Amino acid sequence: MTARLITKYAAFSRIAIAQARRERGELYGRVVFFAVILGVFSSLWRAVAEAGMPVAADPRDLVWYLAVTEWILLSAPPIHIEIQEAIRRGDVVYRLGRPVSYVIAEFAAGLGLLAIRAPVLGLTAFLCAFAFTGRIPPVSALAIVAPFGLAAAALMTALYLWIGLLAFWLQDISPIYWVWQKLMFVLGGLMLPLDLYPGFIQRAAVLTPFPVLLAAPASFVLRTGLVPPGVLARSLVIWSCVTALGVSWIFRRATSALTINGG
Amino acid sequence: MYSAVPAVELNQLSKSFRVRRAATTGLAARARDAFRPRTQTVVAVDRLSFSIAPGERVAFIGPNGAGKSTTLKILAGILRPDAGRVHVLGLVPAQDRRRLAFEIGTVFGQRSQLWYQLPPRDTFELLGRAYEIDRREHRRRIEALVSVFELGPLIDTPVRHLSLGERMRCEIAASLLHSPRMLFLDEPTIGLDVSAKAVIRELLWTESERERVTLLLTSHDTGDMERVCTRAIVIHGGRLLWDGPIDALRRGYLKAKRVTLWSEAEHLDLTLPGVRVLSSRSYRTDLDIALEVTPLGRVVDAALRQSAIRDMAIEDAPLDDVIRAVYADAERRSATS
Repeated sequence: MTARLITKYAAFSRIAIAQARRERGELYGRVVFFAVILGVFSSLWRAVAEAGMPVAADPRDLVWYLAVTEWILLSAPPIHIEIQEAIRRGDVVYRLGRPVSYVIAEFAAGLGLLAIRAPVLGLTAFLCAFAFTGRIPPVSALAIVAPFGLAAAALMTALYLWIGLLAFWLQDISPIYWVWQKLMFVLGGLMLPLDLYPGFIQRAAVLTPFPVLLAAPASFVLRTGLVPPGVLARSLVIWSCVTALGVSWIFRRATSALTINGG
Repeated sequence: MYSAVPAVELNQLSKSFRVRRAATTGLAARARDAFRPRTQTVVAVDRLSFSIAPGERVAFIGPNGAGKSTTLKILAGILRPDAGRVHVLGLVPAQDRRRLAFEIGTVFGQRSQLWYQLPPRDTFELLGRAYEIDRREHRRRIEALVSVFELGPLIDTPVRHLSLGERMRCEIAASLLHSPRMLFLDEPTIGLDVSAKAVIRELLWTESERERVTLLLTSHDTGDMERVCTRAIVIHGGRLLWDGPIDALRRGYLKAKRVTLWSEAEHLDLTLPGVRVLSSRSYRTDLDIALEVTPLGRVVDAALRQSAIRDMAIEDAPLDDVIRAVYADAERRSATS
């Protein structure tokens, strides 16, 4: 039974991988963007340090921190856009009509895309951060960052699925995503570790999944981790359960509220 | 041998949607609309009842907004009805959607289930896993469909390189991969040229005959229903208007032809009983001919007496005219009763 289900949903991952291989330009674009971002910020942190301005952490550590947060962010495929487009085009009628769970199939396709992006962007992060800083964090730190980063990117994919389902009502989810993204940049500590932020932002951040997605996994490359690995693992499990429940609840409501364009 | 259980059974099915009303003018009204949008209820299906026996090929017709697509989506388990009873192959679609999905196929002419960047074979493989088809059986089925639908050179071509007609053949083949007992088709020939339409109609007819698949087909093209189906159900405003054999519909309502003549003479004078000139431009005349009043041959003879004819096109009367005639007839009958 379980093997049959795994085979079934693995097919969605496989076809998403095949599709991603045909659309390599998008991935190459992300690689270039990633390298440029790391180059700009490594120059910025170096310039700040050389100007004698106070930097709360070693500029090289900050570049590695940013390499990890951007790796997670860019690896998570924006499946909410694909869901929105399928609803707008009306192709969702085919996806809802198959003998599979719609949300698991979409998530499996997202994981397929993640499986293509994460290694390529991980290698980009490693090479660029090394080139810009001239050093590599301890292997033990990287060994922790990799699995937690992948788990965080998978959770982010599930959260994008949740946002995508809102398109059943809204048709256009870009305003929701825009707000979500800005919150993630700030409360997730995309550019800087969260402990450099004012206290009230840190207190607000712990109530959201954003630190678990970005700051916590990335902080392992700093000398002081934000949370111990065990606590982060527990937080990831808790937020994954909350997300799964949320997705399931919103999908049930979405299908009962469904109207499909063009009859 | 057909099962005694109807393939489709609808009893007093109703479905309505709440739609947002267009924004009013004026800043205050718009601000109010943004926070408390005004909605109105649109009745898509209104106490609709009919049943379809296994193996039947039924045309489900009506003008835009008649409720055809909504009914099809309810039958496929995608939309939930507000009221009434629905059974498809003995299952309740809204409750047994996944079980029903193994038994039915759907084709939506304006949508696609094929992955755009990939060849159809990749989607076929995905569907094989999704429908839990045994791998050997799946390969055999693909080979059979490739042969029947002549997909040989297409199956390994990325979908984005296929013409609309080729894509539609692949879409229909994809819907038949799991050997469904019932096929719902929503405008399967929309946008296709004449020859592609003929191919699709022929394929649907032969596949339905060969595999004993029950068909329920919506279309705006009277040719689709005439060449594929044996029975027609006409709805209007979500309500049943007419239900009977296609032959009866043809005899009763498909009595007109649209004819375009391109002549050597600049203008033709075709004042004959039952012939209405729709437009007369230089060297081109568009006619609406009531065949039971004047046969087509007499009109052509009359035209040839005036001028050599360079070309001629004959079309069935638009579906809207047929619907109007059915609708007028239904009104007349209800008035007299």
